[in-house]
Amino acid sequence: MIASMTNIVKRYRAHTALDHLDLAIREGETLGLLGPNGAGKTTAIRVLTGLTGVDAGEVRLFDSDTPVTASAVKRRIGLVPQDLALYETLSARDNLSYFGRLYGVTGAALKARVGEVLDVLGLSDVAGKSPKKYSGGMKRRLNIGCAIIHKPELLILDEPTVGIDPQSRNHILDFVEEMNRQGTTVLYTSHYMEEVERVCSRVLIMDTGRVIAEGSVEELTRTSLFEETVTLEVRDPAPALAEGIGKVQGVLRCEVEGRLLTVTSTAGSQNLARILENASPYTILGASAKRPTLEDAFLALTGKKLRDGSENE
Amino acid sequence: MTAFIATFWMGFKFLWRNPVNIAILVCFPIIIILILGNALAAYISPDTDLAPAPIAVASDPDGTLGMFLQTEDISRFLDITFTNREGAEQMAADETVIAAIFEDRGDISIVRPGVGGLHTQLVLSIIDSYKQIGSAATIAAMSGKDIYALLDMEVNVRDVPLGTRIPEAMDYYAVTMLVMILLYTGMNGMDLFSKGLLSDMGNRNRLSPISKPALIGGLLAASTVTSYLQGMATFIFTGAVYGVYWGERIPLVLLTLFAFVLFSQSLCVFLVMALRNQGVVSAIAQVFFWTSTFVSNGYMKIDFGAMDKVFQYAPNAMAHTIIFGAIFGGNEMKMTVFLIALFGISAVLFVLAFLCGRRRLA
Repeated sequence: MIASMTNIVKRYRAHTALDHLDLAIREGETLGLLGPNGAGKTTAIRVLTGLTGVDAGEVRLFDSDTPVTASAVKRRIGLVPQDLALYETLSARDNLSYFGRLYGVTGAALKARVGEVLDVLGLSDVAGKSPKKYSGGMKRRLNIGCAIIHKPELLILDEPTVGIDPQSRNHILDFVEEMNRQGTTVLYTSHYMEEVERVCSRVLIMDTGRVIAEGSVEELTRTSLFEETVTLEVRDPAPALAEGIGKVQGVLRCEVEGRLLTVTSTAGSQNLARILENASPYTILGASAKRPTLEDAFLALTGKKLRDGSENE
Repeated sequence: MTAFIATFWMGFKFLWRNPVNIAILVCFPIIIILILGNALAAYISPDTDLAPAPIAVASDPDGTLGMFLQTEDISRFLDITFTNREGAEQMAADETVIAAIFEDRGDISIVRPGVGGLHTQLVLSIIDSYKQIGSAATIAAMSGKDIYALLDMEVNVRDVPLGTRIPEAMDYYAVTMLVMILLYTGMNGMDLFSKGLLSDMGNRNRLSPISKPALIGGLLAASTVTSYLQGMATFIFTGAVYGVYWGERIPLVLLTLFAFVLFSQSLCVFLVMALRNQGVVSAIAQVFFWTSTFVSNGYMKIDFGAMDKVFQYAPNAMAHTIIFGAIFGGNEMKMTVFLIALFGISAVLFVLAFLCGRRRLA
């Protein structure tokens, strides 16, 4: 394990932000951390990075007893905070150079590394400009650049794509995937399920300060969902059709609206063939089965939608 | 050391590249000096064709005050009638003079009919200069007479520079303005510490391997050096453009300016660490800056009555006292105490700032 949090309790007065949280990050993986507002994701990151102390529990990084606040440990971590943390009157190059020097990167190595990061993030052409003149996406990219200038082994990204255009989002996701391919372990939190589905090899779902589900995206959707939906478009469907389909094993309900039949079954029923068989006397114009998503799994597990307002913990 | 230098250099650039900062701390004072300096200079200078201000003086024409008022540079602004106390009071009551000045065993009091105008301010400034700026030494230098013969008191034995001169409007005004500007530079410290320790950038800095002393020291060095250079811009500008006389004890003047820069940084850093809200701190600091400047007087003398004794300890007033004293001669003991006080207060404020921020930095 590159990082682990065991039985962590963190309270803010009467509010328990982390309630006996157990979390482990495996070396080389991209771990997604999902949770609704107030789930404790940001607090977990603050505890993991040593920005916040704990009331109980243990944090270990890099399989070492060295405290998380020690310089030797700090040099191996990069944090991309949720809010932009840049010196806006300095140029992108100056921002990167400053953080490079803080992490002990100096001289020619620093110059080379700054150029490399600017290239990777697509900011070389505007390196001399102040971030004040940047678009939201460019600022987000520079925000990431400041966290990776020292080549961290563990990169933590807290909502890195909030409020940016699709092009910049893609750029950032490509970049995260590339970092992971090069061996960097990544902890990624986001409101956007499709991002987590794309970049994360494993996902933790948090609610009320603890982990409530864990696994790959496929595992989570398979084990968390109780219903599947098939939609058929049929020419002139008679009421008998809905009745017949309703009797198929595993079908919970069949609703007709115009030409559309929406058939809801218990998850894992594998009854699609029998549903189609019932509909075969009719002209079937189209059929689709909704593939369960992480969003569905999240909703099923927490009873909450992920993007209900902004995430501020 | 690398991290300290990196933080210092970052802070220095951050402040100098902030256009608002530059506008407020460099352009604004220069513009104000250009406007007000020119306005004052147009009215009050040794070359001004200003009608003499009628005053009544209840004092010995051959005494130090009398001689001072009759020196060539001063008397051209005044139409003096030497008389006794009753006569002076009567002239003031009749408003045939703009001020009546009484001297009684070294104590000087002034009666002003009405609120007075430019002439009244002129008279007040002249008397203020007599009271505060080693007038005996000035007269000795200007009259060519033996200082010991003029003074019926213990003599403060100190070399009197032969070039001593009567301070002019801009000499006062430049000191007041410079001290006020330096007080304002406390905003530099507030900006840097607020951004570098309390914001998300603060988290980022704290997550880096930089040590706390290097981080705090780097930020403090950046705000102090930047602020000092901003003060120097005004110092050089007023000397070069208006010929402001900064005296012959330049190192003492510069040391005082340094002490005052430290004071302004420590005050704002303490406030921001204690209150953790830059907007609130900014508002409080602005009120303090203007109040301290106002009660400390400057070129335009304001009579606060009994409160004058309290207001002499206002930060700006202490800096004025040291700088005027260094330029024109003053009470050395008082200057030394005030200088030590400025350093001491700064040290205390920095300690308090650290105590307020220690949990945040933990």
